[in-house]
Amino acid sequence: MKAPRSAGFQPAAPPPSRRPGSRDNRRQDAGVAAGWKPALRGAAAVLFTILLLALSGAAFGHSPRELLSILITGSVGSTFALQGTLLKSVPLLLTGLSVVIAFRAGVWNIGGEGQFIVGALAALLASRFGLVPSLLAAMLAGAAWASIASLMRLWRNAPEVLTTILLNFIAIHLLGWCVNGPLRERTAMYPQTDVALATLPRLGGLFSGLHMGILLAVLASVGAWWLLYRTNEGLRLRATGFNSSAAKWAGVNVRAQLVRAMAISGAAAGLAGGIELLGVTNRLFERFAAGYGYSGIAVALLAQLHPLATIGSAFFFGALVTGAGELQRTANISAAVATLGQAVVILVLIGFEYARSRR
Amino acid sequence: MLDLVVRLIGDSIPLAILAATPLLLAVQGELVVQRSGMINLGIEGMMLVAAMTAVLAAQLTNSVALGFLGGIAGALIVAIVFGFFVITLKADQIVTGTAINLLAVGATSFVYRELQRSEIFVQSVPRIGTDVVVPLAWIVFPIVLAIVLWNTSFGLRLRACGENPDVIAPHVARHRAAALAIEALLAGTAGAYLTLALSSGFAENMTAGRGFIALSIVIFGRWKLKGAILGTAIFGLAAALQYAVQASARGVPYHLLLAVPYIVTLLILCGIAGKVRAPESLGR
Amino acid sequence: MRLSRITKSFGTHSNVSRAVDDVSLTIERGEILAVIGENGAGKTTLMRIAAGELSPDAGEVLRSAQDDIGFVHQHFLLVPELTIAENLALIERRFRFATRKTLEREAVRMIESSGIELHEVSRRVADLSVGEKSKLELIKAIATKPSTLILDEPTSVLTPHESEELFRVMRTLAASGTAIVFISHKLPEVLAIAERIVVMRTGKVVMETREATAESLARAMTPQPPLPAHGERVRVRGTLALSHGNVQIHHHEILAIVGVAGNGQSELAEELRARFPHAGQIPEDRTRDGVIAQMTIAENLALRGVRDAERMIELYSIRALGPRQLAGDLSGGNQQKVVLARELDRRPQIIIAAEPTRGLDIEATSFVHERLRVAAAAGAAILLITSDLDEAFELADAMQVIYRGKLSARMTPEEASSRVANLMAGVA
Repeated sequence: MKAPRSAGFQPAAPPPSRRPGSRDNRRQDAGVAAGWKPALRGAAAVLFTILLLALSGAAFGHSPRELLSILITGSVGSTFALQGTLLKSVPLLLTGLSVVIAFRAGVWNIGGEGQFIVGALAALLASRFGLVPSLLAAMLAGAAWASIASLMRLWRNAPEVLTTILLNFIAIHLLGWCVNGPLRERTAMYPQTDVALATLPRLGGLFSGLHMGILLAVLASVGAWWLLYRTNEGLRLRATGFNSSAAKWAGVNVRAQLVRAMAISGAAAGLAGGIELLGVTNRLFERFAAGYGYSGIAVALLAQLHPLATIGSAFFFGALVTGAGELQRTANISAAVATLGQAVVILVLIGFEYARSRR
Repeated sequence: MLDLVVRLIGDSIPLAILAATPLLLAVQGELVVQRSGMINLGIEGMMLVAAMTAVLAAQLTNSVALGFLGGIAGALIVAIVFGFFVITLKADQIVTGTAINLLAVGATSFVYRELQRSEIFVQSVPRIGTDVVVPLAWIVFPIVLAIVLWNTSFGLRLRACGENPDVIAPHVARHRAAALAIEALLAGTAGAYLTLALSSGFAENMTAGRGFIALSIVIFGRWKLKGAILGTAIFGLAAALQYAVQASARGVPYHLLLAVPYIVTLLILCGIAGKVRAPESLGR
Repeated sequence: MRLSRITKSFGTHSNVSRAVDDVSLTIERGEILAVIGENGAGKTTLMRIAAGELSPDAGEVLRSAQDDIGFVHQHFLLVPELTIAENLALIERRFRFATRKTLEREAVRMIESSGIELHEVSRRVADLSVGEKSKLELIKAIATKPSTLILDEPTSVLTPHESEELFRVMRTLAASGTAIVFISHKLPEVLAIAERIVVMRTGKVVMETREATAESLARAMTPQPPLPAHGERVRVRGTLALSHGNVQIHHHEILAIVGVAGNGQSELAEELRARFPHAGQIPEDRTRDGVIAQMTIAENLALRGVRDAERMIELYSIRALGPRQLAGDLSGGNQQKVVLARELDRRPQIIIAAEPTRGLDIEATSFVHERLRVAAAAGAAILLITSDLDEAFELADAMQVIYRGKLSARMTPEEASSRVANLMAGVA
């Protein structure tokens, strides 16, 4: 009697309020524009976070004014700084989109980290066939890795929250094995792979250090917006996320939506890994993923799960990471304040959500 | 080959028990919390904060015992934050847990670096003398928890919270808060043990995924205490074996060995390696 | 206990419905009081207020300090994974050590003193029958020795024999001074057991009596007397459109599946939904499965490829600001109309309508009925799953009764009128 239902603590249709997609701008109207209220909430969360960071600095005897000025000049104050910010924004934008798609469909993909890694691994292996095959391989690998979780969910009702986290660890150890074993560069001191045989072309002119991946990422967010708000598939995907039980009665094949959303979500995270490899690091090493997968959750939530707003959100977090790096160099303040910022943004947004639900 | 394996395992057991002790503490804490119907991804952050506050308290007071108390206090603060969002604001547990982990990594790294300016916090960290934590973690706590969870009215209600909270609706918040407090006690001890016994000080992100491993072990152990202890032993042995294998058997892909427990946990979640039943209201 | 001038509304700004409207009521010790009314009349809400589970918007609940209320809900409040003994032990609030054995011993004693029969207390509740679960709920409520005991539709899942057992227990309790409130919509049993009867309709108390007949109660419960026979209804019976198990429906035909709630209707609807994904579907649980609240009216319609939302709003007289209004902001009746527009506008060959009017007001109800009739006239085969017998007799060309998951043979409405009650109770 324990058989099928028992394995899952997330039933096929959790009550709507608990679905990830429902932490949504309720007022949203067909997604043309998210409206000014969600944007205002996002801005308020950002301001609050910056304020809190400045205050934390002040608590340890730093001048908040100096702190902020380093954060700002270090992230957008010069072409060089801006370039650094944009470089960081690219993987954040893609992992953020990955989370947007998944949460919109009501699927808990916490596995961005693992999909990022297998995407990069596949990109490295396929790089000898050229740039495009390499990027395609990254997306395919990310999608496949994520699909393990969705298939386990369909097949045995294994909750994807847990399976995707487990898959992260498997991916991390897989990467560890690759960079220490079969893919290790023979002459290197540290365990790392050979360089990839393809690289993303650079943008010219002012941003000569910037790779084409940024265009791909922006294109991806427009694509995600188009998918979610301009196609029937997107309509069904969102319906499933809002209320999978009602969607079923409206003729939506929610199981197919689950599989599709997870695959697209995984592909985006995989692409992020591929682009990071081919555009920035050129090789893989054990700590390659650096938390981009988890950061994607903060990016997506700040964007209130809107694909176009994700661009702005990713830029903010990219700037925060880059500015925090500068803080560490010049003021000896830990660069981890960027991570702190991500956490504060999420918690503040939860607070807003609560305040809104009370009205 | 076979006697090599046997020898490796034999050599690894003492190390495995030590290294898996914080893990076992965390596993028991997460087990209690999950039995009450919550899933606390933030246990990783809880341990990390505890690891830092333990070091700070130990350095300030030059006492290991107070160091452990400091660790527990740190974990308790994290538990209060998590509880406030999840129980009071009814926020999503997964999102909150993720935020807590980011918060812990960010805050501990920031604070620890800042404190390195003062002299007290650069002196060496007192280390644990006689290790009372190992018997506590492997024998005392499991027995106490077994009694509390399965032989008291409190434990009964706590488990009911995890299955159908509507039945005891007015008491759910209280019991879940209690579960978090128990977890804070255990995870706090675990974090303190990491810094005061297993290493000599704090390092950024030093918990290195132990919280997530604990989460996996709770599933691996099918939400039962015996399973949790067995699971910890297996995960701990696999981790300890990696060093032995590294040292004496070159060529064995020990990274893949490390992935095996996770793969097994995945299979358990799919109900392949036996029946599995999560608390019905877990995560809600 | 006294309730005075209680009012309670649900819903948000644009969608407020008054569940209880200025009701005063006194509950005396030792009496059996029946509160009756149709679905959605406000009986349960009123009693939840009396029990302190809900707070009223206006009005006052007066109880003496030692007043202690036991409430047996229509939906079980049990932990399926725990045993009978453990579920009973959950009543107690203080901390103590107790082994499984102790709990089981106590449970046996508790059950004995309740006067209800229930054996093998080490069984998991998940493995009990519906009737046994219902008994367990009752034992739980009695065990706290409440001065007032509220029973919400307790007989809906009981066999006639079990109902008798329940009534016996109720009388014993009343004799010992407990006040018993019995919520029901089944007239015969109410007449058999209640000493005083309160009839509710749309949130108000419309009748309070000690002497009543089934006819007078029925008249009070429904705004107009139950519909007379539907006269001559000639309808073309088309070719066979749907065949599933022993359910056969022809084009132009409405087949009603009637039964007491919880006898497998949901499972049947689910089965048919999976089997005929392209059929027009009106889901049973309207608040959960009707519209997608967070999406606009236009988006909801587009889910089934219905494009012209403007026209639909007009055609189905949906009271809305426009196609871009969020469906969740509409009233229940208007949400149901959106569902109708979405499901019926495609002119599906098969329509599965489960409890299509549950909780709707009269206007919305007659609109839904009208639409279903029109669809049938246009050739659709309609399966109507309903626990509202009046609705079934009003619409159906044929009927089947569902009892414990099994369907009776097909009947004409004329045959049904004499047999349906027994079939629904499982005594025929």
